[in-house]
Amino acid sequence: MTSLHFRPRVPVFDANVEVDTDPDRPAPRQTRAALLAELDRHGVERALVWHAHAERRGPLGANRLLEEWLGDDGRLLPLWSALPTVESLAQIKALHAQGRVRCVRLSEPRPCGLPFRPWAYDALLSFLTHEHIPLWIGIPGCQPDEVVSTLQGYPGLVTVLYGAHYVHALWLRPMLQALPNAHLELSRYEPLGEVEALRQEFGATRLLYGSWYARYVMGPMLYYLHHTSLSDAELALICAGNLERILRGESQHD
Amino acid sequence: MIEGITVIDFHSHANAIETMGARNDPASMLRAMDATGIDAACVFNCTLVSGMPGNQVVADWAARYPGRFIGFAYVSPVMAESISEELTRCFDVLKLRGIKLLPHRTRWPLNDPVWYPIYAFANARGVPVIFHTDEMEEMCPPRYLADVAPQFPNATFVAGHSGNTAGGRAETIAAARACPNVYSETCSTYRTPGAIEELVSGCGAERVLFGSDQPLMDPRAQIGKIITADISDEAKRLILGANARRLLRL
Repeated sequence: MTSLHFRPRVPVFDANVEVDTDPDRPAPRQTRAALLAELDRHGVERALVWHAHAERRGPLGANRLLEEWLGDDGRLLPLWSALPTVESLAQIKALHAQGRVRCVRLSEPRPCGLPFRPWAYDALLSFLTHEHIPLWIGIPGCQPDEVVSTLQGYPGLVTVLYGAHYVHALWLRPMLQALPNAHLELSRYEPLGEVEALRQEFGATRLLYGSWYARYVMGPMLYYLHHTSLSDAELALICAGNLERILRGESQHD
Repeated sequence: MIEGITVIDFHSHANAIETMGARNDPASMLRAMDATGIDAACVFNCTLVSGMPGNQVVADWAARYPGRFIGFAYVSPVMAESISEELTRCFDVLKLRGIKLLPHRTRWPLNDPVWYPIYAFANARGVPVIFHTDEMEEMCPPRYLADVAPQFPNATFVAGHSGNTAGGRAETIAAARACPNVYSETCSTYRTPGAIEELVSGCGAERVLFGSDQPLMDPRAQIGKIITADISDEAKRLILGANARRLLRL
């Protein structure tokens, strides 16, 4: 039975929330309180958050700015951003030494011309693999062959591919087949029937709910997931359980 | 149905786009529609500029699934000599109920007179015309609708995707405010927070239409934009079905 109103029936942990705004776009100032109100409005309990300045200004400052969003209520957890630089890796290692790193997101270096190749990324990828820290990688703008060929050299590294769109439909499935430790965050991926088809082919354990709020509105994909043929157990995995497992440093094969 | 409302998707395709994972499968579309209470979808087949084989596909879907698919005609001024005959066939023989246009696949902006025979036909029949619109595409920014809509007051001009971006929504709203026969339609993967609320407050809920763009997009995610928007229940009822029923005289 469908309704004009919607609340999720399973706990929800959003795997992809971008806080604050692109520094080069006009936008009203966001606040932590407003973000929490938006989570409440959609029935989302917790979210992984990363700071928008990581893309245009770099991860060092963005991660410092992220601190003020985290609070101590446990609802917003940090998704630290990183680049393959000495300074960025040092920052991640320092945070890790404090027991504060459960996941890392790759800042997009391509505008600066840096390819995603082992000769540039080995130190970062080796560290994350060794420490069982999962890595978030944005699909928009990535070079699929670089992603696959590089990650195949780090088979123990758990990854979350986020932001896929229907324009990526031709290579997304081969990528998931080639990378058994990769998970797909679903914020923008909405070709007809694809959630059920991906569940059928790869299993619900490979899929994560994420909204990529505040670029995209939080509710529609959550609504979509609740109106599929997924069982409640599968829905619970996609909406929170898989993310909790990944953040514990476990791959789906552990 | 959703809470007694007959829900109509105003923007769907009866054609595949295989390079983007969109399959031409009415059964899959109906499964997704049924999962969330969508009663009917307006469908068009935009594969060939002549329109002819595609329009027959649309009519076949409507006949095979009565009440579930509402056929729209697709024509293009690329084959200007056949427009009048094909539109007449579409409405009088195939019983289609609206027109879909893709100006970005031509070299003429939608306010170029080359399109006027189509608008004149819609005006004479009092039927809706839905356009692909996008602020970033030079042939079809929504602002051009304000140039043509006043000249054809008995036709309805629908800004498909509402121009996609923030600028496109602003143009759509401006056109709707200037012209009572301009409507906005909601499907887009640009799911910007506040977009639906902005269209409702800018155009008025009585001039916003729910659309999904299936099979490129799943209608469940696209209807989720309406259901989870911060708008009144009455606005949701209008957007999800009442406005489309009025335009299509259902």
